[in-house]
Amino acid sequence: MTDDRFDELMKDAAATYRRPIEPPLEEMWKEIESRSFQGEGKGVRPAGRQGLLSITWVRVAATLVLGVAIGRASVLFNQKSSEPASSVAVETQETQPAPRVETASMPAPYQDATNKYLDQTTALLIALPSEVRAGRSTRFVERAGELLTTTRMLLDSPAAQDQSMRALLEDLELVLAQVVRLQNDRSRAGLDFINQALRQRDVIPRLRTAVADISAN
Amino acid sequence: MTNTVVALQPKYRVTEPDLIARVVSGDRIAARDLYDAHAPRVYRLAFRLTGDAHLAREFTQDTFVRAFGQLARFRGDSALSTWLHRITVTVVANAMRKVKRFRERETDLEDVHPIGSEASGVDPVLRERLNRAISALPEIYRTTVIMHDLEGYTHTEIAEVLGVAEGTCKSRLSMARAQLRAALADLAPES
Repeated sequence: MTDDRFDELMKDAAATYRRPIEPPLEEMWKEIESRSFQGEGKGVRPAGRQGLLSITWVRVAATLVLGVAIGRASVLFNQKSSEPASSVAVETQETQPAPRVETASMPAPYQDATNKYLDQTTALLIALPSEVRAGRSTRFVERAGELLTTTRMLLDSPAAQDQSMRALLEDLELVLAQVVRLQNDRSRAGLDFINQALRQRDVIPRLRTAVADISAN
Repeated sequence: MTNTVVALQPKYRVTEPDLIARVVSGDRIAARDLYDAHAPRVYRLAFRLTGDAHLAREFTQDTFVRAFGQLARFRGDSALSTWLHRITVTVVANAMRKVKRFRERETDLEDVHPIGSEASGVDPVLRERLNRAISALPEIYRTTVIMHDLEGYTHTEIAEVLGVAEGTCKSRLSMARAQLRAALADLAPES
């Protein structure tokens, strides 16, 4: 192949290879602002999620489906009145910072295990939508099953003594259980329920906060 | 520190060091200005490196959250854009390693996003082969090719972003191109 021909191909690749789409600047900024400027009063007001508010009933229904599916809804709603477990509560607390995780009293081995678990779960949940859309979620679903087992072990361990961590683990148990269900139901609705649950419960921001808190400790 | 004037709306035209100082002091409007000036290119780079809109969005967000958290430590040895792109490449590389552990085949990444369809007279089979070959390159080569050949970064910029010597950058690009040509050899023989 001549150099000119190769250069021509590379020019074509610049136009066609993973061609970037228009960036969702506003949506990204809302997330960045809420994560970077928590609890500070100056400047731009914290961003809300208007889209969520406009379809609250859909999200409430999705939460109920999730809860009923694994038989935990009533327990969650009763136990965590002060935590962001209730979808209605979450809708009214959109701009609140994620609760801090107190890890000082957690034994070091549990901190390490919890940190690793949270890190892996974050990676899985972030990549999941792409994997499902691409029809190759098998490995992810298997891994979600393993992480679900770890979640339940952590729930029964000193790692769950902190109320914020317990609430997070319980929400992750719900979400991971739903991911495991994708093994049998790979419909778009299944993934939508997971995404709704993640957003409603602010799972990803809480995961990141928890990882940061444990790392800082 | 460089005194680059950030391309903002006229009423906000300030030098980059001023803008950074305001962000560090907690000024969200300044943070938004800084974000507006740099986010499109950061997102573009993240998209090229991941091939996925969802991941590009996540990693762009992570880049700016990390950047705002560390901005007080930015010494201005390089341009802010270079510093941001360095964070982007690091964020993407670290996260993709975790993601790939769940994946059965790394080259599946290419399947995530459809190949563009701009008419350019290039044989679609050849284009597909080249795009897959780029995806299959080792990470350090792929990043260099994407930044230089696809996104138009200079060797100096890439060297700063990746923290390597300029010569290393040129060498990697040369190796990457050789691998790509080899991958196309049977479809477009040397003549």
